[in-house]
Amino acid sequence: MADPALQITTLTKRFGTLTAVDAIDLTVAQGEFVTLLGPSGCGKTTTLNMIAGFVPPDAGSIRLQGRPVESLPPFRRDLGLVFQDYALFPHMTAAENVGFGLRMRRLPREETVRRVAEALDLVQMSGLGERRPSQLSGGQRQRVALARALVIRPAMLLLDEPLSNLDLKLREEMRGEISALQRRLAIATVFVTHDQGEALTMSDRIAVMRAGRIEQIGTPTDIYERPATRFVAGFIGTANMIEDTDGVTVIRPERLRLSSAEHAPPGTRHWPVRVEHVVYIGPRLELRLRATDGTRLQAEMVNDGTAAWSAGDTATAWFRAEDAWAIRTP
Amino acid sequence: MTGRLPWSALKLAVACIYLFMLGPIVITASVAFNQDNRSYFPPRGFSLQWWEAAFGPQWLQPLLFSLELATLTALISAAAGVPLAFAFQRYRFPGKALVRAITLGPLILPTLVTGIALLQFLSLIGLGRWMGFWALLIGHVVICLPFSVRTIAISLAAMPGNVEPAASSLGATPFAVLRHVTLPLAAPGVLAGMIFAFVHSFDDVNLSLFIARPGERPLTVAILGFLEFGFAPTLAAVSIVSMLIPLALVALFGRFVGIGDFLYQETGNG
Amino acid sequence: MKARRLTPYILIVVPATFLLAFFVIPSAVLLSMSVVQSEDTIPTGNLTLDNYATLLSNRLYLSAILRSFIIGVASGVIVVVLAYPLAYFLVRTTSRWKNLLIALSLAPLLASVIVRTYGWWVVLNREGALNVALRSLGAIDQPLIMLPSTSAIVIGLAHALLPYGVLTIMASLNGLNPNLERAAMSLGAGRVRTFLAVTLPLTAPGILGGFLLTFAIAMSAYATPAILGGPTTEVMATMIRRFMLELLDWSLGSAMGAILLVSAMILLLLTSALGNRQRES
Repeated sequence: MADPALQITTLTKRFGTLTAVDAIDLTVAQGEFVTLLGPSGCGKTTTLNMIAGFVPPDAGSIRLQGRPVESLPPFRRDLGLVFQDYALFPHMTAAENVGFGLRMRRLPREETVRRVAEALDLVQMSGLGERRPSQLSGGQRQRVALARALVIRPAMLLLDEPLSNLDLKLREEMRGEISALQRRLAIATVFVTHDQGEALTMSDRIAVMRAGRIEQIGTPTDIYERPATRFVAGFIGTANMIEDTDGVTVIRPERLRLSSAEHAPPGTRHWPVRVEHVVYIGPRLELRLRATDGTRLQAEMVNDGTAAWSAGDTATAWFRAEDAWAIRTP
Repeated sequence: MTGRLPWSALKLAVACIYLFMLGPIVITASVAFNQDNRSYFPPRGFSLQWWEAAFGPQWLQPLLFSLELATLTALISAAAGVPLAFAFQRYRFPGKALVRAITLGPLILPTLVTGIALLQFLSLIGLGRWMGFWALLIGHVVICLPFSVRTIAISLAAMPGNVEPAASSLGATPFAVLRHVTLPLAAPGVLAGMIFAFVHSFDDVNLSLFIARPGERPLTVAILGFLEFGFAPTLAAVSIVSMLIPLALVALFGRFVGIGDFLYQETGNG
Repeated sequence: MKARRLTPYILIVVPATFLLAFFVIPSAVLLSMSVVQSEDTIPTGNLTLDNYATLLSNRLYLSAILRSFIIGVASGVIVVVLAYPLAYFLVRTTSRWKNLLIALSLAPLLASVIVRTYGWWVVLNREGALNVALRSLGAIDQPLIMLPSTSAIVIGLAHALLPYGVLTIMASLNGLNPNLERAAMSLGAGRVRTFLAVTLPLTAPGILGGFLLTFAIAMSAYATPAILGGPTTEVMATMIRRFMLELLDWSLGSAMGAILLVSAMILLLLTSALGNRQRES
């Protein structure tokens, strides 16, 4: 298969005067996990809905496995969708939910039963097939929804904020499971989220969206360490942004060092600072600093017992040139 | 400092209100056990003869008539209510507000006025011979339809958000979505709407009064007519029987449709 | 796309036509009958306001109209006064019988108004339960004549319509943020003060809504005035029946119907406007 799993070109959607999605291009390779990341209202869900076929695009094309699908209704697109609220059918058991897509495809009974069992097994839900969604926990519902989307062996998987209804611990657990499953099945996946942690940990590539456009697309390392715009730098992680004449220098708090000596190592940029506040996170410490010229900075360090800073201390903040990233404004 | 005193006073008041509310019904029921054909309370002696009379042909005929009328009304209201609720809940179209106002109109207009309007209209266009069963059926559907439309619309609105798109993404055609997802999920609402229409039809006086005719009278109109001749414990027994039927229906099905929602619906014309 | 635009019309065409034929047109005919002269049940065609003039100038008809309004207001007030404490109790009680008590207070709605009123006939008539009881206690020698009377009608209607008041006021109390009352108490207001200063004013729309709803239904009720009233206590509904079925004067019946229709509609539209405003806030 030479074709990419998904190829979107100049896809556009307007709602009245608002351009929700503004001529975006996106390609997802076979087996690739691509995340659409952005704040609410950035157009990521609309993009997903256009791929799924629930929202007709105003312009642009969508090709799935090389095949144009703009004119196909959702039920002919052959996609596996997992919704934010899971959208399990409340009047069917877990197994009936999983089997629904196969029933719609009129598969023979024995094959349906076998594949439903396999799918439930895949998400470690075998034995719970006879339960109704109302008798399942949030995490279990999530698994059923995933099995239901995968069992039809879709051309690709679309995940719409599937983790946002879970509590913190479960969310982190499911992150890992979804990632592992996706790699094992090598299924091309588009994942929509506003959670940068999910995006960074799960994706092969991330497309950061803002106001209907893709600001930057790249690997998690690219996005975090080499942000293309101020928006990307500020949206993902925390960034000290130091204004220069021709742009900004981005330095991540964990790369900003602090020493009690008055002088920093040679060849580094440095400021004399005062520690204004120490935020105790547990494994890490967050230090709010103010330079003598008024610049506010933030540093972060591992709480390994060696850092003994407290509010009111004076220090020198410095960083190495290779730890910073410059965004030049054209 | 006010402590629990106001609450105790409230409890006492509430007990009195329940007494006021349920007293007459209890008295009616017990009067029907009198030995003689008199309305003694507490009853003197004990007899089941009035209950037997309540199921005699004189009362059985209007009772069966009412049951038949209410059942047909419920079925037709559901059949007409489903497409109406669907159109109101799922589509935007020019004229929607008007159609909705017309559908819910019989809730706002006094039923009595709807009754005389139908009486006049059918007579003027020469369909006076429809008076009785057919006119009653038409009138009851008009006044019961808003209940079933509203109940069904609520159940459609309460449907979990993405289940229909989910079914569609799994390969279900629009018809399959309707058949396997939407209608099964709307079924409790449709059932509730039918029970509602049944009860409303079974209990109606204000419309039936004008378009019933001898031999084709619902139970309520028959009771009303009999009252002019005076009182007998039989009538008490008949009243209680006619009260128990809707109660039994709701007790049977209320569990499936949520008795609370069911009763919250009942805020139309009395 | 075309087909989709037609779908809603296909869905509504049959029921809407039915309603047009048997609800909208008959109602329009009724309103027009009220402004034409007629020979018994046959309209003669001339436009006139005589029907209304007749209704409003005849003492008997006018008093029926007024009595309907008085009965509506009186039963509305009684319903609200009785329903409020009941609704407050039902919303706030932690009793394990709560659901049963709610069901018990609303279940009368399932019985026909005839049955509910009929109980009062049993209690109040000349040889009824109350007279029998009072006589056996030796409190009276002669039976009290309580029927027919306007007060009996008001009691009967208040009794029959009480659940509507309970429903409306319960909805209003349920919509009240409980933290508002806690806030008032934390600021030093006692239970009674909190109720008077916070709960009552905030549920006022529910009270007014319950009143208007009861008013509208009571005003157009037929069964209760027919059972507990008599020739001396005619109301609009009983007059309409007389016009339509006994006197066969359909013009006057239609005019009286139109008066009833407009009054009830104003009251109920006010109610739903109130409901919407409360839902928005």
